Amino acid sequence: MEGGAESVLGLQPYSSISIGYHSSFGHHDDLFLLELDQTLLPDVLHQRVTLRGQLNEDAVLCTESNTYAVKFVGTSNTVFLIPPTDQFGQNANNSDSKISAPKVVASVIKVAPGNMELVEVSPRLDKLKFLLSENPLRCDNLFEVEDFEGSESNGKIGLYKWSDLVERVQASDAELFAGLKALSAVEINGYWRVVDEKYMDEVLNVLLQNSVLNDWSLNSLNEDAVIGVLETDGFPRPLAEHCLQVYGSKVDEETGLSSVWKLDEKRVCLHFAKGILRGGKKKKLESFMDDWNRKIPDGMIARFDMLEGEVLTERIGVEKWVYAFSVSSLPYNPAERFQMLFHERPKWEWNDLQPYIKDLRVPGLSSEGLLLKYTRRSQPTAEAEPIFSSK
Amino acid sequence: MQIQVKCSCGEENCPEWAIVELQGTVEAQPPFQDRLQNLEIGVLCRPSSQESYIFTVGYHELTGSKVPLKKPLLVMKKVKHIDADQSSELNSSRVELEVVGIIRHRILFKTRPKALISRLQPLGKERVSVQNPVLLNK
Repeated sequence: MEGGAESVLGLQPYSSISIGYHSSFGHHDDLFLLELDQTLLPDVLHQRVTLRGQLNEDAVLCTESNTYAVKFVGTSNTVFLIPPTDQFGQNANNSDSKISAPKVVASVIKVAPGNMELVEVSPRLDKLKFLLSENPLRCDNLFEVEDFEGSESNGKIGLYKWSDLVERVQASDAELFAGLKALSAVEINGYWRVVDEKYMDEVLNVLLQNSVLNDWSLNSLNEDAVIGVLETDGFPRPLAEHCLQVYGSKVDEETGLSSVWKLDEKRVCLHFAKGILRGGKKKKLESFMDDWNRKIPDGMIARFDMLEGEVLTERIGVEKWVYAFSVSSLPYNPAERFQMLFHERPKWEWNDLQPYIKDLRVPGLSSEGLLLKYTRRSQPTAEAEPIFSSK
Repeated sequence: MQIQVKCSCGEENCPEWAIVELQGTVEAQPPFQDRLQNLEIGVLCRPSSQESYIFTVGYHELTGSKVPLKKPLLVMKKVKHIDADQSSELNSSRVELEVVGIIRHRILFKTRPKALISRLQPLGKERVSVQNPVLLNK
């Protein structure tokens, strides 16, 4: 008599069941076990989960907002896997058995060598940075995208639609989107692009010049008016909108009327500071501050703390010098991040280090844990500042 | 590359599979090693109304119990689809993963097996003949 998993699980008191090899018993390499947290079960069973990665990468499993590494855990036990009756077709059992009395047999289809388990990981966003930096949007390649419309995606170099990124970046949709926002990427003609710094500089300068010309307040810019002048100057509309999003925030949104934007002092000032130090320049602090104050728009005040995580100061002799060192140029991968930080500077005080690691997220590791794992902490005296160096 | 994880059963209808797990390995005697299909492994008994079980494999008796898994296991199947593409010469193959079952309990045997025959004769002298084709090897 046929019996499967249900006969085993439902075995009544004072009864027994024979366990045997299924008529289709074998390796069944296409079958495997995946251990899941109960909380992830609904996502999987409702088909909201995908596996992502290229052939040379370890696969990750992505829900809508999280990324998990998939690891195999072996067992030295013998794990007999018994499917429900009929799940593997008719079990041709007992047909030529010598046993005359019919008995219930639960059949083993496979012996499982172990199971896969999920470990939550940070999304692998360094690849996103790498892909998008292949072809940043510049004023001279602006029309490249339009020329290629209609031809296959594969023919374009460094141009990626959302669907291309999903195939190549090991991150959940929500994490991928957040990664794009963190890179200040913009979607133009269906392609996600990072904008070359000099090009952003041009757009912002046109915006600021027109504000002066038209006597617009930087705290209440009319969206339509701003986009209008930028488009007239030849910038594509999505880029004009992007400029407002990168350097400002919406103040007011009244239905039917154009939105009002306010430029963000910190973001605008930071932009000019980076422009002064672009190309690896080192400047004396005083002369840098002079330059900076001259470049920023009227009405804005530049403060050195705006440059946290963007600029480092160095003492050369009696002078203090500054140079650009942006957290956005560093890898997301913690081991690589710390390696680059200690390569730049062998010893860090906490106040200097913190802005360069506060964006690091490792599931299961707090910021103290991160420091413990990747740095060596020393404190010369109880009153002195702790110093962090490479392990 | 993106592989969709499919499930045609939904949360309520996922077929439940069973696991019987024991320490050590089970081996078939040489004549049977290539013909495991349909062979009996052993007999599983539930001697009382408790969730305790006895599994007899060959001349060994194991005792164990049915325990719920701390985390459920899903039984997954890799499915390869060959798409015949009329516009290109290549047939692209697509892999999908499908959830074919769920496991919430296992019957686990982790005690030392009890030998049901009192003494094994050493080789060369009187050998105990064992009828069962499948034996427990610890």
